[in-house]
Amino acid sequence: MTALAGLRILDLTDLKGSLCAKLFGDMGADVIKIEPPEGDATRRIGPFLDGKPHPERSLLFWFYNTSKRGITLDLNQQAGQELVKQLAAKADVLVESAAPGTLARLGLGYDELKQLNPNLVLTSITPFGQTGPYQAYRSSDMVAEALGGMIWTNGFPDKPPLHALGLQAYHSASFFAAIGTLLALLARESLGEGQWVDVSMQESVAGAVEHVAPFYHQGLGIESRRGSLHWSRYFRVARCRDGYVMHCSLGDWTSLVEWVKGDGKAQDLEDARWEDLTYRKEHAEHLFDILDDWAKDYSVAELMEGAQLRRIPYAMVRPPEALVDDPQLNDRGFFSPIEHPELGRTVQYPGGPIHFTTTPWRIARRPPLLGEHNSEVYGSELGLEADRLSALKQAGVI
Amino acid sequence: MTSQGRRALEGIRILDFTWVVAGPVAVRILADQGAEIIKIERRDTLDLGTRRGGFSGNLHRGKESTVINMADPRGIAIAQQLAAISDVVIDNFSARVMRNWGLDYDSLKKIKPDIIAVSMSGFGHTGPHKDYVSYGPTLQALSGYTLQMRHPGQEPAGWGYSYADMTGGYSGALAVLMALWHRKQTGQGQFVDLAQFEAISSLVGPGLLDILNNQTPRKRKRVLHTHEDAGHGSSFQPVGNRSQEAPAAPHGVYRCKGDDRWCAIAVFTDAEWQSLCRVLGQPAWTHEAHFASLADRLQHQDALDEYIESWTQQHTAEEVMTRLQEAGIAAGVVANGEDLDRDPQLRARGYWAQLPAQENGKTEDVILDGPPFKLSKTPGYVATPGPLLGEHTDSVLRRLLNYSDQQIAQLKAERVIASHAEIHAERSAQD
Repeated sequence: MTALAGLRILDLTDLKGSLCAKLFGDMGADVIKIEPPEGDATRRIGPFLDGKPHPERSLLFWFYNTSKRGITLDLNQQAGQELVKQLAAKADVLVESAAPGTLARLGLGYDELKQLNPNLVLTSITPFGQTGPYQAYRSSDMVAEALGGMIWTNGFPDKPPLHALGLQAYHSASFFAAIGTLLALLARESLGEGQWVDVSMQESVAGAVEHVAPFYHQGLGIESRRGSLHWSRYFRVARCRDGYVMHCSLGDWTSLVEWVKGDGKAQDLEDARWEDLTYRKEHAEHLFDILDDWAKDYSVAELMEGAQLRRIPYAMVRPPEALVDDPQLNDRGFFSPIEHPELGRTVQYPGGPIHFTTTPWRIARRPPLLGEHNSEVYGSELGLEADRLSALKQAGVI
Repeated sequence: MTSQGRRALEGIRILDFTWVVAGPVAVRILADQGAEIIKIERRDTLDLGTRRGGFSGNLHRGKESTVINMADPRGIAIAQQLAAISDVVIDNFSARVMRNWGLDYDSLKKIKPDIIAVSMSGFGHTGPHKDYVSYGPTLQALSGYTLQMRHPGQEPAGWGYSYADMTGGYSGALAVLMALWHRKQTGQGQFVDLAQFEAISSLVGPGLLDILNNQTPRKRKRVLHTHEDAGHGSSFQPVGNRSQEAPAAPHGVYRCKGDDRWCAIAVFTDAEWQSLCRVLGQPAWTHEAHFASLADRLQHQDALDEYIESWTQQHTAEEVMTRLQEAGIAAGVVANGEDLDRDPQLRARGYWAQLPAQENGKTEDVILDGPPFKLSKTPGYVATPGPLLGEHTDSVLRRLLNYSDQQIAQLKAERVIASHAEIHAERSAQD
């Protein structure tokens, strides 16, 4: 059983919003990805399978487009716009990420679509939202992370602030877009109609930065970046024998001190003042300096396992490679093998963010080949005749 | 934005046992959209300073604080009565805690057959590491982010905050909504075993597909066991500020005029490069052959960055952003708390919620973050600031469970429940 069975989602997004439609697809919705005839731009961006650049081997495209069917369509031709209207008439959701006003110029704005299908939810993901002085401004993942307050907090004080690993502004916007879309679908039954969900990437980042604006609004001034020391001052990275570990001073304090003392490295940590969380926070640098000197002779694995046995939340600071063999992820079936028959190959995919028990998260199909479902969608489902289809093909519409 | 219209989750009641950050973030997203949140708290919960606004107010806005002593069987009975009239029960404990209270999914199902139970533990309720303890920063370390977020040749830095708590939070909110949709179609509830470690691991990006499918186990092992410089040889290079999407150069965070002021700039196409050169006034270096094509610029990014920075340092971050944006180039000030507050775009869209809040006999406005998306017909908004500890204990018991004043007084006397007034009086007496 799937949670979103029966929902039809049209995916007109670029990289900013592809994850939003994937979240629906992996949970059982019928997602149709609409690409321009030359294919989604991400098909030409790496990394590629076996390092061989090819539009059907882009791992960037694959990562964001599982569980989707794929069709092609030229939005700039009137016949293409008509096809979108026909598809939208039968869909629950259209999610898109074009600049504000683009869809309206093509005759596909919310007002037009609503006439065709009052139940439709239109979800628009843009850099700054549909309104306001920056609505026409350009953005990128890094620029959105900057303007939303994420980058400011990352890195060492004497170095430039740091971008995140992964396109986290796009991810945040896609999650909030999925949340907004489901809210509109849930409200649809009592409202009796769909609505327009306006998602701003900048706001999505700002709405998922823990402390930057709240501290300012609380009168605590401007919080700065401090290397790996977390703003709470309870976490910092240490170098050990074979890598790095994340210290945490919020765990079982007595056990930690006993352990460090047993190694003859406790210095002044036995002092009762350290039992107070506030004292630990205020003297974090001194505390972590002592713990660094203790940790340096251990391996990262010894530290993490030893700490976890004592209920102290230490963690290895690992490269992403370590996820592949992580016993916990593997035991819970996080990775799934998906057949790519045209390559004669099984591809391993990472799983989703949420473990549902009755309606499991599942990659229902591998990412679509370019135009793979054109005849299925336009032919059997929209009922276009074969000669109409070939005419559209001839005209470069599909 | 504050308004009083109908919201999407009106009529949905959530019994909220979450604490720290990830769980409260999940629930506040739903609170902004009109769900009724009964937040169960301990009398001796961690004091994070003012509860109306700031850090704590942002986490708990729109929720009703109800203090129940869960170590007392009568407290557990009250929680079960509340669960029986709720749509969703959400926690972020390890499996043991809710089971001990008779509030795990199997028990809840008996008192409310279509209940949705969401547990947001660190590692999940199954598997060899289900009892491991974690916080956001330790999950970021385990999933590969902290090591890779550094400048080449520098020590790992990672996020300065708990991004993993945010991804856990928005995954939790999405989980509730997907389960509500499923219940609406089928009448069935379910248990969601959300592992925050999985939520953050799912967002590493296409590099993870690369490791899974292009890297031999032998290569992977070598990466994992390289001494001295963990991560050396990883197919993930230290991220620095280079593009992780379409190739772009220049692409970085550049120092501007003033103290610790920066602007992010991303130039993807040749047309954008030409525009940039015009804004810069076509200095001689822009005509150098090794900057001619995108491929050239990618190859000489370090040299390019120095030239760009020699220009940005003569201008404020705001000037750099405005001049580049007017030329059609993606650029943005690296915003700190003050920049966010003053941001003309956020203000024009009514992003911030300003609400009057009473604490310690004084009424003051607090400013809170608002929802980051707008629904055209049922817009979300922040209805109330963060609750004081136990502020709603009496009203929740009266309104939802029909407890009489006498019953409430007795439960208080026997320390089964507490309202804000008693807690405040007790804390003042202790000080």
